[in-house]
Amino acid sequence: MKLSRRTVLRAAGVSLALPALEASAPAKAPAEVPRRMVFICTPLGIHPPNFFPKKAGTDYEGTPYLDVLKDLRADFTVLSGLSHVGVDSGHDSIFSYLTAAQHPERRAGFRNTISVDQLAAEKLGDRTRFPSLAMAGEGFGLSWTRSGALVPPECWPASTFAKLFIEGTRDDVEAQLRRLRDGRSVLDAVGDQAKGAAKAASAADRDKLDEYLTSVRELEQRLARAEEWARKPKPKVDAKPPQNVTNSADLLARTRLLFDLTHLALQTDSTRFVTILLGGASQVPPIPGVTFDHHNLSHHGQDPEKLKQLAVVETETFKLLRDLLAKLKGSKEDGATVLDRTSVLFGSNMSSGNSHSCANLPFVLAGGGFKHGRHLAFDPKSGPPLANLFVSLLQRAGVPTDKFGTSTGPLKGLEPSE
Amino acid sequence: MKRTVALAVFVLVASHADAQPLEGAPKQFLAAHCVKCHSGEKPKGGVALDALTADFANPANRDKWLAALGQLRAGTMPPKGDAPPAKDVAALTEWAEARQIAVELEHRKKHGRATARRLNRTEYENTVRDLLGIDAELRDLLPPDATANGFDTSGDAHHVSPFLMESYLEAADKALGFAIANGPRPASTTKKYALTDERIVKVSTESVYRKRESELVMFSSSAWNSVVVGQFYPSVRGRYRVRISAQAVQSDGKPVAFRLDAGPMLMGTKSRLVGYFDAPANAPKVFEFVLPFEARDHVRISPYGLANAQTVTKTGAETYTGPGLAVQFVEVEGPLHDTWPPASHTRIFGDLAQGSAPVPNNRSRLEVTSNKPEEDAALVLKRFAGRAFRRTVTDAEVEPFVALARKRMAEKYSFEAAVRVGLKAILVSPDFLFLTETPGKLDDFALASRLSYFLWSAPPDDELLKVAAAKQLSEPAVLRAQTERMLNSPKARAFAHNFVDQWLNLRDIDFTAPDHRLYPEFDEALKTAMLDEAHLYFAELLKRDLSVSHVVASDFTFVNGRLARHYGMPGIDGMEMRRAPLPADLHRGGFLTMAGVLKVTANGTNTSPVVRGAWVLDRVLGAPPAPPPAGVPAVEPDIRGATTIRDQLAKHRNTPACNTCHTHIDPPGFALESFDVIGGWRTNYRSLGNGKPVTIDGRRMPYASGKAIDPADSFEGAKFADIDSFRELLLKDTDRLARALAEKLVTYSTGAPPGVADRAEVRAIVQRAEKRGVRALVHEVIQSTLFREK
Repeated sequence: MKLSRRTVLRAAGVSLALPALEASAPAKAPAEVPRRMVFICTPLGIHPPNFFPKKAGTDYEGTPYLDVLKDLRADFTVLSGLSHVGVDSGHDSIFSYLTAAQHPERRAGFRNTISVDQLAAEKLGDRTRFPSLAMAGEGFGLSWTRSGALVPPECWPASTFAKLFIEGTRDDVEAQLRRLRDGRSVLDAVGDQAKGAAKAASAADRDKLDEYLTSVRELEQRLARAEEWARKPKPKVDAKPPQNVTNSADLLARTRLLFDLTHLALQTDSTRFVTILLGGASQVPPIPGVTFDHHNLSHHGQDPEKLKQLAVVETETFKLLRDLLAKLKGSKEDGATVLDRTSVLFGSNMSSGNSHSCANLPFVLAGGGFKHGRHLAFDPKSGPPLANLFVSLLQRAGVPTDKFGTSTGPLKGLEPSE
Repeated sequence: MKRTVALAVFVLVASHADAQPLEGAPKQFLAAHCVKCHSGEKPKGGVALDALTADFANPANRDKWLAALGQLRAGTMPPKGDAPPAKDVAALTEWAEARQIAVELEHRKKHGRATARRLNRTEYENTVRDLLGIDAELRDLLPPDATANGFDTSGDAHHVSPFLMESYLEAADKALGFAIANGPRPASTTKKYALTDERIVKVSTESVYRKRESELVMFSSSAWNSVVVGQFYPSVRGRYRVRISAQAVQSDGKPVAFRLDAGPMLMGTKSRLVGYFDAPANAPKVFEFVLPFEARDHVRISPYGLANAQTVTKTGAETYTGPGLAVQFVEVEGPLHDTWPPASHTRIFGDLAQGSAPVPNNRSRLEVTSNKPEEDAALVLKRFAGRAFRRTVTDAEVEPFVALARKRMAEKYSFEAAVRVGLKAILVSPDFLFLTETPGKLDDFALASRLSYFLWSAPPDDELLKVAAAKQLSEPAVLRAQTERMLNSPKARAFAHNFVDQWLNLRDIDFTAPDHRLYPEFDEALKTAMLDEAHLYFAELLKRDLSVSHVVASDFTFVNGRLARHYGMPGIDGMEMRRAPLPADLHRGGFLTMAGVLKVTANGTNTSPVVRGAWVLDRVLGAPPAPPPAGVPAVEPDIRGATTIRDQLAKHRNTPACNTCHTHIDPPGFALESFDVIGGWRTNYRSLGNGKPVTIDGRRMPYASGKAIDPADSFEGAKFADIDSFRELLLKDTDRLARALAEKLVTYSTGAPPGVADRAEVRAIVQRAEKRGVRALVHEVIQSTLFREK
């Protein structure tokens, strides 16, 4: 008995947004307001005493790190007391940062789920040339597919910039189109072959092959959309193409390039969903006064010298965040600012690198048209799941959902400004 | 159709579950000993046992049972004074295991023990390498693989996504581009370079180089004084022969070491370490290497272990009297090609001719041509598919790929371009990317692949495929002979690397960098030697079939001068690793006390007996501790010298809820407290605050000698004073070490850990392994049903 691929997929419970081609045009309906999300994670914690204010509400006091952002005070909210449910201390919490999947630290039996940006991209990603943009300072990233696979992040700003903005010659475009066409026909052929294999497999193995077939089908659609986009001119930007920072120790320069690229990508509406995992390098960054690598500093062991240097590194990172937010605020779009339409969540999967604790995670939420200028404080012992914040952000972005991962609803106290 | 069947089974299981309330003795046992604490709104330790059912097909229910039984058997639960009668525990265990075994066997009958898996990044790269006959670093094009149960060979951990598929397309394009020759033979040249002509030597304002007509002498080991041979700048990728003539000078007759790197050499980019080598003092020695280079790569020479720039410039290179490295020349020949087109090309296209196919920027471009394009395309693709799928293939199986090429030719693609599309499709097809196994006994081809990815992390070679095609591999004697042949092959290096690095967690060696004030002696050469030690030692255990007791104790190891100095072994000089006897008073021997292992179980500043203890229980004893209960705050490390980790841990060891597990987890870690963050021997903690000053060779160290360490504790009821007496305790039960290693080998080689149903088979493997030798153990794992069935 021969099953069509679509039947197999439907039977596998995979819902594909078919037909996708019709939706692939830049179908920005005139009335639609683009809503965007940016998720940034610095993976070694943020030294809690330098970040969290004690007072809740609108008159919270300044702290060393928040003071860096003080000119933008009306544009962001400080969040405290949030953590993921069922994500215990350790670096492995990075797996679940944007997915809320439980117990990554147990490794065995852990299976990741879709990340919040990819969910949004699934629903709304066809509006832009790139459904989403996952970037990272190093090889690992924050975005995960529905099947629990890592979305390989873009680590080299120069090539990402080229993909976004640099128009190829006619020959380049032709070659690109041919590559995409070849890719699609290759996928078509292997899809046929995989169906044969799927028939022979046992049920557990068929899940694996279904995952393969789903991937093939989704990539075919993506390549088809890419073909459409390849025929359209890319947006023009004034910015000079960035030079990659090849010095992997230079965290700040690398982060700045990623942030600049984020601004350009959002401003040109090339994508609406961006994730950035900052590097957590074990090399000493070239910052005056810093003689240890960031990872080492996060394991400060209360050593005063290390705490001092850690503050230097983290303050510099907050300056980069400030510059990104200011740029987004400075970019106007239909009478609003890009920041008004972009929720930027900056934070970490650990509160303290020294203890690797994953309770009471530090967050700054900027833009997105929320009521800001506050410290929204929750009790770390009984606070709502972090996933509630994701529900609120998804709703704000126009993804109709009332559930994400371990959420129990939208985040109480976080309201749109209009 | 099958989907419906699977669904029906699920419904059946689900309704079955409802019909399995807990009854009889198990129910009474829980009521009497467990549910008093483990029930209600806030069960102790977050573990609720009041809703357990008899349904072991339900994973959540089963996992709770297995965890509870583990605690019961280990005597860690119920807490002290409440121990249930041993016979009741035994009866409960027997009941639960019988149910668990029934579920496992049922699952196995339908699906096999392991889930189908795809190649991981390492295997993908090796497979393309062997299939096409090319050197290419492809793994970085693919996203990192997830692991399960400690290994990246598990189908349960791997997933496929559209992004991964796109990466496969890209990697296939790249690999085919390397394999297929589209031009005339690149001219091979031989050029000799003098380092005195290098830019850094000419422009450096520091007096660290002594320039002579015949050589350059380098005196500084400061990183920025190393010399990149920028004159060598290959325009095409390929293999090149590099010859370096070097000699030690002013060194009291001792050799001077240098480090050789290859790569693009842009600031901060990762280069490939070729190795550390010893230049002799008496006369120049020519070192020869054949290395793969990408276009525009360079090599870099860095003297190792000499003075820093500051010291040399005080006197200046001309009058400096300390040791130096003299380099007479660097000669490079290449690209090297035995034949043209290269073997990688003819393996795909056979003897099909090439014709001119110019493009605007390349007039001399060639392409493969054919007079009978459809016939030849079918021939080429079928030949390739058989090798790619690691088995015989039928015409019908290859038809989709041939049809693809035909269709492309109909669309006016050239023969080669059309065939390339077909080749690319084969390289992203499931038969290439997945290891195909069906439940029950593996067929000969599946067995061949499992064996070869186990021992080589690479596909079966022609001989193995031939034996499989003849359906002989499943004969035990043939399987044993092939295993012997493969273990003796240089390709078995992959086993010593990929298995050992994951078993011992050495892949994380770079995860933390030691604090340079606490551990100023740490350097790259030491780290490299640490890894080499573990690999060479494992290879030696395998080669000589030494007893598994060598996992924790041994009277020899592998060191070079650098590692020997770290361990305090006098009389060993130079960078070459060699086997050396270990005096008993060094307290070393076996993986347990290797510097690499001690480094990955610590972070850059401090050691934790909890982390190291859990490591020993999992990796060496095969009994990983249960994860900590939710919501327990982690220890905040403190290196100011006022407190020790034992003081800090005492808090939780005095809390009954923590104590039950930690009396079990921490002791092996305390035994290892005699070793610091980088695996050096210590009697006192190094401190950045309180402590006595430390002076070595007349130089004041940036750290102080802090509080004394205390390695004594008790393990499984027996007291030990230090690492030596702790090891004695481990050596009392060699079979336990053998079982633990066998379980890791099974997990790595089959992608699935042994289940409860497999305990008897694991024991049998150990019993069959003569003298518990490591090689014998590998053989018995391969001969076992665990390996030979899906």
